[in-house]
Amino acid sequence: MGRWRAEDDGSVENSDEALCRRVAERDEAAFDLLVERYRERAWRLAWSILRDAEAARDVSQDAFIRLYEAAGSFAGRARFSTWFYRLLVNRCLDHRRRNRWWRLWARDEGEAPGGETLLERQPAPAYDPGDALSREQAVSALWAAVDRLPPRQRAVVTLQAQEELSTAEIADVLKCSQATVRVHLHRALKTLRRTLEKR
Amino acid sequence: MADHPKTDLVPYLRGELAPADRARVARHLEGCPECREDAAALHGLIETLGRSVPPPPAIHWGRWRAELTARRDARRGRHAWWWRPVPLALSASLAGALLVLVVLGGPGTPTGNDLAVVEQTLLGRRLELLRQLSVVERLELLEDLDIIRQLDRLAAASEG
Repeated sequence: MGRWRAEDDGSVENSDEALCRRVAERDEAAFDLLVERYRERAWRLAWSILRDAEAARDVSQDAFIRLYEAAGSFAGRARFSTWFYRLLVNRCLDHRRRNRWWRLWARDEGEAPGGETLLERQPAPAYDPGDALSREQAVSALWAAVDRLPPRQRAVVTLQAQEELSTAEIADVLKCSQATVRVHLHRALKTLRRTLEKR
Repeated sequence: MADHPKTDLVPYLRGELAPADRARVARHLEGCPECREDAAALHGLIETLGRSVPPPPAIHWGRWRAELTARRDARRGRHAWWWRPVPLALSASLAGALLVLVVLGGPGTPTGNDLAVVEQTLLGRRLELLRQLSVVERLELLEDLDIIRQLDRLAAASEG
């Protein structure tokens, strides 16, 4: 998985931060270049948090529209990637918040009271660590459990596991303290661990 | 035994703690089998998560880019026609000119619109009379009697 870093082509003029400043001056070429650099990571992260291709497409586009409109407010104190991440993750969390009731309803339709999906309610085969299929199922169950985490815990896990951001960087993106990030991560991992142990 | 460093375990495993905190957690782990077990399980979990991130579905980038452009243009178009510099300047000039006309009054001869306004004002004043309809009716009766009297005189004059 790629690290969320500025792609340095060796010139200061083409750094992400410089391009963002040019976007603020309505430089279309600079915007195109930033879209090119960040679209795949934006899509991947939006999809990881939302797990809905259509929503991820909308939200990833929204983040770039917001980037275009708000490029002037990028102060350059943080890295561009952190700032853009914040735009994107905020939009993902907003989207999840807006669709909370729908998701709750949809989940209730297909899940047992314990929060397991119909698929997960099927009797599991005896777990054999050497069995690739069991491992695959365990991984699927793990990511299904990630899907069920509260939005901010899920965002923290995704940023940490997928984008390999440090606690400080995640705190920057989510605009919270590092202690809060640690608590989110601790609770999320505890839940995920329980999920694996139950199998 | 000091408090278990629960929330410090992941930063410890990822090498993010300051040296003093790192040493504190390491000391604790040496003497706490429960936390050692937790740390080992978390380490395995983080490794598994990092290795097994599900790939997103494939996407048609050309379509995605075209949609982005269309949505951005639509947003610009929605509020931009009056917000662009030239229409904004024109709108401001027009508003200013109208204000001057209203405050100072229009120059030259009255236009059709001006006459209509005068007429409406007069009508408005007459409407005041309708509130005293009985008086108006009496006035009209007196007027009618006056006309009849005049007719009598006209008849007498024509006979004479």
